[in-house]
Amino acid sequence: MYRKFVLKRIGYGILMYVVMIFIFSTLFNNIADVTMRSQIEEEVAQEATRIRNLNGDQLKATLESRRESKIRQYHLDDPLPSRIFWRSLRTLSFDYGNSTTIKASNGDRLVIRIILEALPRTIVLFTTEVILVTIFGVILGLYAARKPNGPFDRTNSMITMITNGLPAWWLAMLAIMTFSYAIPIFPPGGLHSNPVPTGIAGILDYLWHLALPLLTLVILGVWGTAYLVRNIVLSNLQEDFVMAARARGIPERKVLFGHTLRSSMPAIMTMAILGLFGSIAGNIIVEGIFGWPGIGNLYFIAVQQNDVPILMATLSIETLLNMVGFVILDIVYGLLDPRIKVGGKA
Amino acid sequence: MNFNDSLRSFKEFWNEFRKEKTGLVGLGILAVFVILGLVGPFIVPFHGAEAHWRDIDYWQDNPQAAPPVWTNAFAAKKGVPSSSLSAFKVEAETQDSGAVIKTFTFDYRFSYDQPPRDLIVRVPGSGQIPLVISLERPDGLAAEIYRDQVELSDSSPERVSVARNCGQAAVEFVRAQDADLANSMSADLVKPTSIFFSKLGPETLDNPAMLKGDYKIKVKALLLSSDFSVGSPSILVSGHVSGLMGTDASKRDVFTGIILGIRWALIIGILTSVISVVAGVLLGIIAAYFGGWVDWLLTRLYELIYLLPVLPFLIVISAIFKPSIWNMIILICAFFWTGSFKTVYSMTLQIKEETYIEAARALGSSKWRIVFKHISPILLPYSFASMALSIPAIIVYEASVSLLGLGDSTIVSWGQILESALSQGAMINNLWWWVIPPGLMIALMGMSFAFLGTALDKILHPKLKTR
Repeated sequence: MYRKFVLKRIGYGILMYVVMIFIFSTLFNNIADVTMRSQIEEEVAQEATRIRNLNGDQLKATLESRRESKIRQYHLDDPLPSRIFWRSLRTLSFDYGNSTTIKASNGDRLVIRIILEALPRTIVLFTTEVILVTIFGVILGLYAARKPNGPFDRTNSMITMITNGLPAWWLAMLAIMTFSYAIPIFPPGGLHSNPVPTGIAGILDYLWHLALPLLTLVILGVWGTAYLVRNIVLSNLQEDFVMAARARGIPERKVLFGHTLRSSMPAIMTMAILGLFGSIAGNIIVEGIFGWPGIGNLYFIAVQQNDVPILMATLSIETLLNMVGFVILDIVYGLLDPRIKVGGKA
Repeated sequence: MNFNDSLRSFKEFWNEFRKEKTGLVGLGILAVFVILGLVGPFIVPFHGAEAHWRDIDYWQDNPQAAPPVWTNAFAAKKGVPSSSLSAFKVEAETQDSGAVIKTFTFDYRFSYDQPPRDLIVRVPGSGQIPLVISLERPDGLAAEIYRDQVELSDSSPERVSVARNCGQAAVEFVRAQDADLANSMSADLVKPTSIFFSKLGPETLDNPAMLKGDYKIKVKALLLSSDFSVGSPSILVSGHVSGLMGTDASKRDVFTGIILGIRWALIIGILTSVISVVAGVLLGIIAAYFGGWVDWLLTRLYELIYLLPVLPFLIVISAIFKPSIWNMIILICAFFWTGSFKTVYSMTLQIKEETYIEAARALGSSKWRIVFKHISPILLPYSFASMALSIPAIIVYEASVSLLGLGDSTIVSWGQILESALSQGAMINNLWWWVIPPGLMIALMGMSFAFLGTALDKILHPKLKTR
């Protein structure tokens, strides 16, 4: 039964992903076609420089046939639905092709290489952020829930509402202005100093560059998480088993950390897992402001330079990660709560 | 529900709402925002700034990247605040030849430690007019700043910039007192405003001491023919500090921009949230109540949009289609209706089974009548809270898209002010008055809606009441 549910959920997830890729392909169809054609022209022109022992007409004919075969290979002369179909199929098989302008640090133009180069940097910054935010959020949330409407809880709720509409990138701008230019204790951006120090100094340098963006994100992010944890824990504190535990004379500390936290774990885990998967996409603006060359930054450069292959690849990878996160959650839920896997409506 | 009923239920609601202090604070801040949004364009120091926000000529008289006026209170050397002098006394004197000399006298009280950056005199009028501008200083000396025959017409008033046009006049003014000192000066290199507003002496050139007191600036125009006329001149003192919030690197007044941005933030936030929440509530009810293929289709659509990465998608759409603000609102709506869909969906599934719905159905009510008459009114209160709560995120999204330079360039929004701050080096140059206010406004507006939304949620959402 459970296996059937898992398979069904995964299959369904894949189906949704395929539909999304088709939507992206349709959206980017025109631009992608133009990009593809100019890339083919470029390739053919490059081949022409290599061919030596042919006269003018022969060369022209060979190049023409090369062009033709490439256009046929990428189905560029097909009717619209067919072009969309083949493009989707290539995207689905992770064949993202070459970028138009953006290059990896070693000059490589293969989209997948460029993305794999940016991905670890984003993970270092944003996944660390999510982990720290979750840890501190749970601690703060539990403290707030211990005395609901007490001074700590109120301050916490207040800060949550203030930071709620506060753009992270604005705080990033302020942080750079204050701690990089006015009081220069942190670097204003980038991954490392130039020239890159080696050994231990290199690691310290990296951490030094990581500190300001990480601190900014964690300080802003922790309040919302704390507030959510507080609400989850509070709603659990009203359950009968808590009353029963209190009635048995179990100390409040133990009730809170043992009983309540444990039963709140699924909801908190949901938050953390979704956060972790979401974090891999990075943050377009914050990365841009801190000059952190991760996925978000890559995406924005791709938008600015109209680099459709990169755009398409990043977007589909982000969607895929989102999807994987949801599927995993559903499967874990199914494991925890038998009612879900029976199915039925919503 | 007739009018009296709704009035009574509103009174009940208000009695409960009054107890929520944060809700009242939110409402208060919001009321201030709404008032400022309505009267904003009329109270800003620069009228018509909205239409000319990106017009370089419109802002040319302002100082560049000047801090706010109130920073003078903390500064060791008080800078001159930018101001415009428009109050003057006018005297007309008719000469024997029939020509008229019109003299406009402006009073200017100068008590700062630095000379003004510039003094810009504008004289409107028509015809060929000999124009003399002179300055009477508190120490009794008089300086002729400018003398020329100018050609005036309605479309182009005469614009005299003391800093640029009056180097020679400054040297001549010094020569009249101290020829040796004047000989050491070069008309191209001196700062005319610094000479006109400082004590004369050997130090005037290198380290001038400001001459504080009441100055009189006189604009004299000679009207040789009755066809010629001269309008009210105005004088602009371009200083080191300017306005409530300073100016940016393009000389624009930040305070004006902030006030103009309120309106757009309110429009974007409220319109988008109302449309998207109403759409989400209705679609949620329809999906749950109608069931079948409608349910299937809407739920799939919901899942699809829920999985899309919002900001990347917004950015790429904005980059491709260069949307106007209205299209942007529609686009954000397309994402935000999902926020209330699922909750309403599951609430409707419960309500659907209530006996009064069954009764209505048994009486022959159509499906639409049940949706609009019986289910929507119950779920509507819930939607008010989620409208208010979704607004901060909407405002931040708009600001984010604008920050990347993809916003509507015909409006003035906080995101766009921050975009120019980011791209024109406000952070490196520590122009904090350009970075802090717009973000603070975004945060403040988001906060007021969050306060309001949480209070509404507590009152209107039955589940949360116990908390």
